Amino acid sequence: MAGETFTAYALVPAIAALPFAAFLVSLLFGRYMPKGGALAGIFAMGGSLAISIATLLTVAGILPGDPAYHETIWQFATGIDTFDLHLGVYIDPLSALMLVIVSLISFLVFVFSLGYMNDEGETGLARYYASLSLFSFSMLAFVFADNILMAFMFFELVGLCSFLLIGFWFREDAPPSAAKKAFLVTRFGDFFFLIGVVGIFATFGTGLFANVTRDGSTVQSFPALAEQMMNGQTPAMASDMLDIVGMSPQAWITVLGLLVLGGVVGKSAQFPLHTWLPDAMEGPTPVSALIHAATMVAAGVYLVARMYGFYALSPTALAIIALTGGFTALFAASMGVVKQEIKQVLAYSTISQYGYIMLALGSGGYVAGVFHLTTHAVFKALLFLGAGSVIIAMHHNENMWDMGGLKDKMPVTYYAFLSGSLALAGIVPFSGFWSKDEVLFEALIHGAGGNPLFLVAWAMGLLAVFFTGFYTFRMVLLTFHGEPRTETAEDPHGVRWNVKFPLAVLGILAATVGFINMAPIAKLTNLHIDFLHTWLGGSELVAEEFGTGLHHYEVLLEEVAGVSAAYPIGGEVTTMLASAAVSLGLALAGAGLAWSLYSGPEPVEHTNKLGGVKTLLMHNYYQDEYQVWLARDVTLPLSRAADRFDQGIIDGIVNGVSSVSLLSGDRVRRIQTGVVSNYAALLTLGLTILLVVFGLVGGWF
Amino acid sequence: MIPLQSADVLPQWTALAPALALATTALVLFVIDSIDPDSMDSGLLAGVSTIGALASAGISGWFLVAGTGMSRTGGAIELFGGQLVVDGMALFFMFVFASVLALVTVASYDYLEGQPHQAEYYSLMLLATTGMALMASANSLATAFVSLELASLPSFALVAFLKNNRGSVEAGLKYFLIGALSSSVFVYGISLVYAATGRLQLAAIADVIASGEALDPGVLGVGILMIVGGVAYKTASVPFHFWAPEAYEGAPAPVSGFLSSASKAAGFVLAFRIFTVAFPLDVITGVAVDWGVAFTALAVLTMTLGNFAAATQDTVKRMLAYSSIGHAGYALIGLAVLSGAADQSFALGASMMHLLVYGFMNTGAFLFVALAEYWGVGRTFEDYNGLATQAPIACTAMTVFLFSLAGLPIGGGFWSKYFLLVAATGASAWLLAAALIVNSALSLFYYSRVVKAMWIEEPDGSFEVSSYPTGLYAAVITAGVMTFLLLVGFGPVSATATDAAAMLF
Repeated sequence: MAGETFTAYALVPAIAALPFAAFLVSLLFGRYMPKGGALAGIFAMGGSLAISIATLLTVAGILPGDPAYHETIWQFATGIDTFDLHLGVYIDPLSALMLVIVSLISFLVFVFSLGYMNDEGETGLARYYASLSLFSFSMLAFVFADNILMAFMFFELVGLCSFLLIGFWFREDAPPSAAKKAFLVTRFGDFFFLIGVVGIFATFGTGLFANVTRDGSTVQSFPALAEQMMNGQTPAMASDMLDIVGMSPQAWITVLGLLVLGGVVGKSAQFPLHTWLPDAMEGPTPVSALIHAATMVAAGVYLVARMYGFYALSPTALAIIALTGGFTALFAASMGVVKQEIKQVLAYSTISQYGYIMLALGSGGYVAGVFHLTTHAVFKALLFLGAGSVIIAMHHNENMWDMGGLKDKMPVTYYAFLSGSLALAGIVPFSGFWSKDEVLFEALIHGAGGNPLFLVAWAMGLLAVFFTGFYTFRMVLLTFHGEPRTETAEDPHGVRWNVKFPLAVLGILAATVGFINMAPIAKLTNLHIDFLHTWLGGSELVAEEFGTGLHHYEVLLEEVAGVSAAYPIGGEVTTMLASAAVSLGLALAGAGLAWSLYSGPEPVEHTNKLGGVKTLLMHNYYQDEYQVWLARDVTLPLSRAADRFDQGIIDGIVNGVSSVSLLSGDRVRRIQTGVVSNYAALLTLGLTILLVVFGLVGGWF
Repeated sequence: MIPLQSADVLPQWTALAPALALATTALVLFVIDSIDPDSMDSGLLAGVSTIGALASAGISGWFLVAGTGMSRTGGAIELFGGQLVVDGMALFFMFVFASVLALVTVASYDYLEGQPHQAEYYSLMLLATTGMALMASANSLATAFVSLELASLPSFALVAFLKNNRGSVEAGLKYFLIGALSSSVFVYGISLVYAATGRLQLAAIADVIASGEALDPGVLGVGILMIVGGVAYKTASVPFHFWAPEAYEGAPAPVSGFLSSASKAAGFVLAFRIFTVAFPLDVITGVAVDWGVAFTALAVLTMTLGNFAAATQDTVKRMLAYSSIGHAGYALIGLAVLSGAADQSFALGASMMHLLVYGFMNTGAFLFVALAEYWGVGRTFEDYNGLATQAPIACTAMTVFLFSLAGLPIGGGFWSKYFLLVAATGASAWLLAAALIVNSALSLFYYSRVVKAMWIEEPDGSFEVSSYPTGLYAAVITAGVMTFLLLVGFGPVSATATDAAAMLF
C-alpha cells in the first residue's frame, strides 16, 4: 500500500464493521454497561456517519481520491470455471449517498432510543441495542455490496434483524405474531429473489453490479453482460443457459429481473406483499422509524436502483415496476384515510410512498426515484420519531381519538412533526414536494412518450396525492389540534433532549433537503441547481469504467427499453409547471378537506359517511383474509399431500435404504471376525479375484 | 519469493530438509534416551519431537511458498541419481505428515503421562514420519519399498506400545502379520515389474513400456496389480483393509490418529507417483492393464464398505476407524477418474486437498477420543452422553471435525469433498459420483450420533471431568481451528495442490 495516498475509501469497510463491533459489545457486555449498551451503538454509528460523510465528500471530489471505488474484500473459494463468489465494496454516487442516509438515520434513532427505551425503563436493553446495531450493520453492508450474492446475504440479515426487533416485546401476544408475519411474508418474496440470484449466476457467472478490474483484467458486471447479450454478443455460458430455458435474451432478462423483484416487493412492502408492514408497528417506535426510513423497506427499492442497468434492458419489467408502484401508492393511501392509530396511518403512508419510488424507477425516472428515497428517508424517520414522542407523552396510547391539543404542550414535537407532514403531503417548499413532483413529472412525460402503461400508473399516483394530503392533515389535526380528549392528553408526559434533538435535526432537514434537486426552478431559471441530477450523473470513471452512471442508464432506457419523453402540454417548462401545479393543487385539496372535516376544538368521526367503503377500508381490502385463505385452504392441503408423498414414498425409500444398509453393515461386521488368519485368507482371495478378472479381460492366460 | 535451490541460494540436497529435520530429531531423541534411559520427562521428549515436527512442517510450507521443485522454478529436483525426487507433491505431503505429527506429539504429552519408554515412542514416531516423507519423494520402486518399510515397522511397534494392554498388543501383532503379507505382495509385484521392464526407476519404467520392449504384458499386468495391492494395504483400502479397524481400535488413540491420517496419506502419495509416473495411463492402457478401472472398483468398494460398517459400530473409536476406511475410498477417486478426467491435475489435486484436510479433521477426531480416554469416559456412543456440559470447547471442536468429515460446510472437508465430486462428474464417472454422495449422506448419520450424544443427550453422571490436559486440549483445538480455517481459506490450498499435481502429467 506504500506510495498510495490515503483516502477515505480505506475506511469504508469500517462503516459496517463499527456497528458490528457495537453489536458484539452490546450482546456480550451490554448488561453490565450503563444505558444497556446504547453508548456503544451511538459511538459506532457516529463513527460510521463520519466515515460515510468523508466517503461522500471523496466521491464529490472535495476530499482527495477517485470519484468511485471498488475493492474485493474476501474471495470465498477459487477453482477452475467456478462462479465468482466474493464479498466486496463498491462506492459510487448512489451508494455513497445511501450510506450517509442510512448512517444518519441510524445514528438519530440510537439517540432517540435513549428517550424511548431507557427513560421508559424497558428491560432487555442489551438485546435491543445489539439487534439495532446488527440491523444497521446489515443494511450498511447491503448498501456497499458490490455483487448480488453479498447483497442477498445482507438482505436476509436485514430480514432477520427486523424479525428480532418487531418481536422485541416477545412476552406480549401481538409482537411475536407480527414478527413472524413480517418474516414469513418477506421470506416469500425472498424465495423468488434467491432463485433470481441463482439464475443470474448460472447465466452470467458473476453477480457483480459494476465492471471491476481484478488482477489487471476487467471483470464485467452482469448488467453489462446482459447488455452485450441484447446486442447479440452472447457469452458462451449465457447462451448455454438460454438454450436450456429456450427463451430470447430479453425474455430471460425480464424473467430474472422479475424474480429479483419478488424480493423487492416483499421487503419494500409493495402490493400484494405489503401486509406485513402495518402489523410491524408492534415493534418499538424507533425501530419502526429505522425500518421505514432507512433500512428494511428502503433495501428493496435500493436494490432496483443498484441494478438499474439490468432493469433498463427490459421494458416489461419496467412497466410492471411502474404499475405496481402506482397501484400501491393509491391503494395504501386509501387505507390510510380511515386508520385511528397514529402509527397505522404512518405505516400505510410508507407503503404508499415506496409506491411512488417504484413508480419513478419503473417509469425511467432514476433520479426522481433516488430523490424521493432520500427525502422520504428524512421525513418518514422524522414522522415516526415524532409519533414516538407523542406516544411517550400519551403513556403508550396510540389512538389519535384519545389525543388532541398536544400542540401547546409539546411545541418542538409539533413543529418538527408539522414539517414532516408538510413534506409528506407534498406542500411547497418542503422536501416531499420537490421529489414527489419530479416522480410524477417523469412518469407523465415518459408515459406521454409512447408508454400508455406509465400513464395509467401516473394517474394512480396523482390521485394518491389527494389521499396523502387528506390523511396527513387528518393525523396532524387529530393529534395536535383541538381540545384534549382524554386526561392523558391534558397532562402529557414530558420528553427530554434525547427525543428533541433528533426531531430538531430531522425537522430542519425535512424542510430543506428538497433543495438538493429543485428541478422546476432549475428549468425556469437555467441555473444548474439540480445537484442530485449532476451527482448521480457521476464522473467519467463511474460512467465509462464501472457502468453505473446515470447517462449510461438514460441511453439504455432510450435505446433498449424504448422509454422516451414527450411533453403533452406545450413545451418542457409548461408541462413541468402544469404537473407541479396539479399535484400541489391536489395535495392542498386533500389537506383542505381534512381541515374542513377535522379542525375545530371537538372533531367528530366522519368515516361512517363512507358506508360500505369504510368496512372495506377498515379491513384493508380483505388482503389479510385472502392471504390467510390462500395459506389455509390452498397451500395447507397441498403441503399435506406433499407431506404424505414425503412420508410414504420418500421416507419409505430412505428407511428401506437405511435398513438395508444397516443389515449389510452388520454382515460386513461379521466378516471382521477378529481372527487374523481369516483376514489373510480374505486378503489373498481378494487379490486373486482382482488378478483373475483382469487376467481374463486382458487375455494374459 | 526467490527460487531457492534452483537459483543456487541453497544447495540441491536441502530440498530434502523436511525429511532430514525429522530424521535428525529422531536421532536427537535417541541421544537423549541413551543419556537418560529411564527418563520420564515427557515435557522434554514431547517438546523436542514437536519442535522437530514443526520445523519440518515449517520448512515444507516455506518451500511450497517459495516454489521449490515446482515448474515455475525449474521443475522437480532429482537427488541421488534420480532415486529421490522433491517436487510440489512431495513437499505438500511432507507438510501433511509433519503437521499431523506435530498435533500427535503435543497430544501424546498428556496421553503418555506416567508411561515408561516414552523416548522410544517419540523416536519411533519420528522415524515412521521420516519413512513417510521419503515415500513422498521416492522415485524408484526400490526406494519406495524401503521407505514403505521404514514407515511400517515403527508403526507396528507403536500400535503395540501399551505393552500391558491386551488389545494393544493383539492389534500390533495382527497389524504386523497383515503388513508382512501385504509387503510381500508389494515386493513381489515390484520384482515382476522389474522382470518385465528391467528398470526400477519410475520414469525409466514408463520409457521401457512406451518403447514396446517390455517382456510380457501378463507379467507386467500381474506386477502392477500386486503393486496396487501394496498401496491398498498402506491406504487401508478394500480388500487390504482388515488390519485397520483392529489396529486403530487397539492402538493408543494418538497413534490411531497418526496412522489413519499420515500413514494413509503416505500410501496415497506413493500411489499417485508410481501410477502417474511409472505407469501413465496413455502408455499402459492397451499394453497391460487399465489401472483406472481397478482403482474405480477399489474406490467404490472401499467407501461403501467403510461407511456401511461404520454405521453399525457401537464404539466411537471403531466407528472412526471404519470411517477412515471410507475416506480412503473418497481419496481414491482422484486416481480412479484420471483416465476420463477433463482436467487430470484438478482430479489428482482434489485427492491431495482431501488428504490435507483429512489430516487435520481426522487426527483431531482421534485426539478427541484420546481426550475421552484420558478422562476415563467409556468407549461407546452412550458413554459420550452429555459430554458437552463438561467440556464444551473440546466438544465444539469434535463437532467441527465430525461434520467436516461428513462434508458439511463447517470445515474444509466441505470443499475437498465438493472438489472430488466435481472431479468425478467432470470425468463423467457417475458411479463414483453417486457412491460419493450416497456414502457421504450415510456418514452424516453415524457422525451425527456422536454429536447428538455429546450435545443433546442428558449426562448419566457416571464420570467427572476433573482436569483439562493442556497438551491434548491444545492439539484438539489447533486441529479444530485449522479445519475451520481450511473452510474459509481454501483458495491457496487448492491452488497449490492443483499446481503440484500438474507436474505429474
